[in-house]
Amino acid sequence: MTDVHAPQSQSPSAETDGTDPFGINETEPAGTGGGVTAGPPASGVGWLRWLWRQLTSMRTALVLLFLLALGSVPGSVLPQQGSDPAAVQQYFTAHPALAPWLNHFGLFNVFAAPWFAAIYLLLFTSLVGCVVPRTFRLAGSARTPPPRAPRNLERLPHSGSYPSTLPPEAAVAVAASVLGGHRFRLRRPADSDSGHWVSAEKGYLREVGNLLFHLALLGVLVSIALGGLFGFKADKLLVEGTGFRDTRAAFDEFHPGRLVSGADLAPFSITLNSFSASYLESGQSRGQPAAFHARITYTATPGDAPHSFDLQVNHPLDVDSTKVYLIGHGYAPVFKVTTATGQVVYDQATPFIPANTGTFMSDGVVKVPDAAPAQLGFMGVFVPTAVRVGDTLESAFPAPDNPAVSLIGYAGDLGMNSGVPQSVYQLDTTAMRQLTAAPHALLPGQTWTLPGGNGKITFVGYKQWVSLAITYDPGQLPALICGMLALGGLLLSFLIRRRRVFVRAVPADSGLGSVVTIGGLARTDASGGFEDEFASLSAELAAADAAAVAPAQEPEPTNQSETGA
Amino acid sequence: MTVNLGLAQVSSDFLIATLMIYSLAVLAFAGDFAFGRPRRAAAGAAAAIANGKRAAELATVGAAGAVGTAGAAGPGAAGPGAADSGAASVDGASGGPSVPDAAATPGGGRAVALPARQVPALAAAWQAGPWVRIALTFSVVGILAHLVAVVTRGFAVHRAPWGNMYEFVTALTCVAAMFFLYVMIRYRAWALGVFVMGAVVAALGLAETVIYTAAGPLVPALQSYWLSIHVTAMTLATGIFFVAAVLGILYLVAERYRARVAAGKAQPGNGLLVRIPGSAQLDKLTYRTVIFGFPIWTFGVIAGAIWADQAWGRYWGWDPVETWAFITWVLYAAYLHARATAGWRGRAAHYINLLGFTSLTFNMIVVQVFITGMHSYAGVS
Repeated sequence: MTDVHAPQSQSPSAETDGTDPFGINETEPAGTGGGVTAGPPASGVGWLRWLWRQLTSMRTALVLLFLLALGSVPGSVLPQQGSDPAAVQQYFTAHPALAPWLNHFGLFNVFAAPWFAAIYLLLFTSLVGCVVPRTFRLAGSARTPPPRAPRNLERLPHSGSYPSTLPPEAAVAVAASVLGGHRFRLRRPADSDSGHWVSAEKGYLREVGNLLFHLALLGVLVSIALGGLFGFKADKLLVEGTGFRDTRAAFDEFHPGRLVSGADLAPFSITLNSFSASYLESGQSRGQPAAFHARITYTATPGDAPHSFDLQVNHPLDVDSTKVYLIGHGYAPVFKVTTATGQVVYDQATPFIPANTGTFMSDGVVKVPDAAPAQLGFMGVFVPTAVRVGDTLESAFPAPDNPAVSLIGYAGDLGMNSGVPQSVYQLDTTAMRQLTAAPHALLPGQTWTLPGGNGKITFVGYKQWVSLAITYDPGQLPALICGMLALGGLLLSFLIRRRRVFVRAVPADSGLGSVVTIGGLARTDASGGFEDEFASLSAELAAADAAAVAPAQEPEPTNQSETGA
Repeated sequence: MTVNLGLAQVSSDFLIATLMIYSLAVLAFAGDFAFGRPRRAAAGAAAAIANGKRAAELATVGAAGAVGTAGAAGPGAAGPGAADSGAASVDGASGGPSVPDAAATPGGGRAVALPARQVPALAAAWQAGPWVRIALTFSVVGILAHLVAVVTRGFAVHRAPWGNMYEFVTALTCVAAMFFLYVMIRYRAWALGVFVMGAVVAALGLAETVIYTAAGPLVPALQSYWLSIHVTAMTLATGIFFVAAVLGILYLVAERYRARVAAGKAQPGNGLLVRIPGSAQLDKLTYRTVIFGFPIWTFGVIAGAIWADQAWGRYWGWDPVETWAFITWVLYAAYLHARATAGWRGRAAHYINLLGFTSLTFNMIVVQVFITGMHSYAGVS
């Protein structure tokens, strides 16, 4: 991928005849111009060279950029395995014929798909193939002086002239010192055969910025890879009053990088003391959450003093570069199940999953494998602010203002010993029989005596739970630095223009003094300010020339040799 | 913190006023379009406007009847104020009085011909005629009212006033109007006013009628100072890209006209098209607008990544909105590259520019409102 403006091509003839010393048309140099090159030569090396030229041409880079944009589209339209696996399952259920095909092409995991990787790796290869030679070219151009001044400065995009009372070489010397004062790089003729002139060039940082931008993008890619190899991401659901230690086994889900082992985890532990959520009580956005606070206690390493922390959204906990985020919350109704003989076989808070984030109606499952005479299972709905609508319970508000549960009971075999792993949020009722036709609603403290001598279940109350994301990403800081460098490079390349100013002096027709012509061109004048800069520079040159006359009629000529400062 | 309903009302009222003042500005721009002074001859429209400024600057001064050495382009192509521009340049630039001998002695028909600095932008605006003056006045007053509306909304809700779609559109049209005013004055592109300000009025009118959302506090995920950084950058960039898109459409229209004239299919000097700048100048303006917006968009994406890391525990997660911000970025990058690639510059590049804005708009309207993701904050029901 080449520059926003293709690298400059300077054929020696263009440099001397002065019409187009920069290649103003900004066409691609023939050497890298994709598509315009001749057909592939027969030899194997020739093939490779041809392929490489095609790959690193701007045209290919453009096509790859389009493919990258186009390839990202399905990642936003279809549910993705990485961000929402449940939605992918739903899609498979809803479109049983189509989904396997989409899956075949990796469209449910676009950003990890081989074809997507192929696009961006080709793009970055193209970028490297373009940027590396340009870096060498830039290093080269930093050592070579500006080109010789063209003969016909009037033919440049910007030009002007002024008369001088100084002889030509002195007039040029004055101009050179003015341009040197503006930190232009100068070049003067080595001999006087080619006339009296000075070439000046400025703005090399533009190309530096452009290269920096592209290299920094490469750095971002490497940083992402770094995070993928050495980072990890884990999820943990925590009910009020419980805690966990940061070990692999403690997590509900653990996605380690390829080079991460369990031993790399920071040895901290966290206990959730309480969680509170507040919601807007009135207005158009009634029920919209206003604040979440998870009050936790943590110890950084075993044996350390415990610290308290108020974990909030946008306010993560940082323990030795491992960060803990509050990413979700919900209700965990507490149930107590007692057998007909009075034995307590279940007494715990059971996290329910919010099915509707607006009202926080939550679904959950209670499995009681130790119940007698048969195992018991319940499908439940937790309703934070219950209102009765006809025969069903609805939630009017997400806060627990009038909590209630509605349960459907099952007795039989939970199937937990079959060896097939089960989700704690799903009940397999194939070997169970429903206890009552209608769901049974309970308020806190109420007890439902189950039919058939299956004991009783009490809705004791509720607790809240939070879900935490625990992440470690060593690529984060490098990615940020590279991102900022890319931005800096972008600004340099857009704000700075590479421009050249030429001054030529010839003896005046009258024989006294000289006529000075100035010409200028900006190769890349993105912001369009060169016109004004050239105008003020011309005025300054004329003024300096006029001022030089006054003190000394015969100013001593300054250094006539080529300067490459 | 409770919402200050009084201030929220003030904000709404000012926005209505803004809408009306902008409409008047559009009318005045249209008046200039219809009745203003013709600015240039129709023939060679594109070339004339591209070289026009330069020709004006190179207009020769000094010895009577002397022809400037570089004044190749005829003065006929120069815009109004060419004479003023030339005159202004003598005093300021050439320092004529200090080199009387020099001017006299070389003689031989040689004359001082220094390129002049441009007429100050505001003076040029003044010279552009009463319609432009009226339109600019309305624009400035409208922008002030718009600013008041945005700022009071911010004070009413005690936060940066771009927390939902309605507020976002309100703020971005304000940016577009301000940025366009700058572009218009800087590049003396009065003829574009009717198009850009017209588009601003349309967008603001839609915001006011379709997606109006009462002032309210934000969900916890948005309660962060990154809101003011990330969304501000995105608002600025969107406003600027908005201007670039309008310029791009005008370019395509002007370019089509130019091509038809060149092919002999259309009369030069025909109708409205003569009055908008030539395609070459529109091409430059579009490019300058995009390179102004692109770094801001880049910064906005980086700031968004930092915020995402704070709020969600990852800096990039291919959330639908993130994905489309990425697609938009890639498309504008493609535009910048296309402009430097043979066979792609011109029309093709401009189509990419418009594709970029389409993706941006799609992200703003369709993705944020209809596709569920972590960025579903639009508040549009």
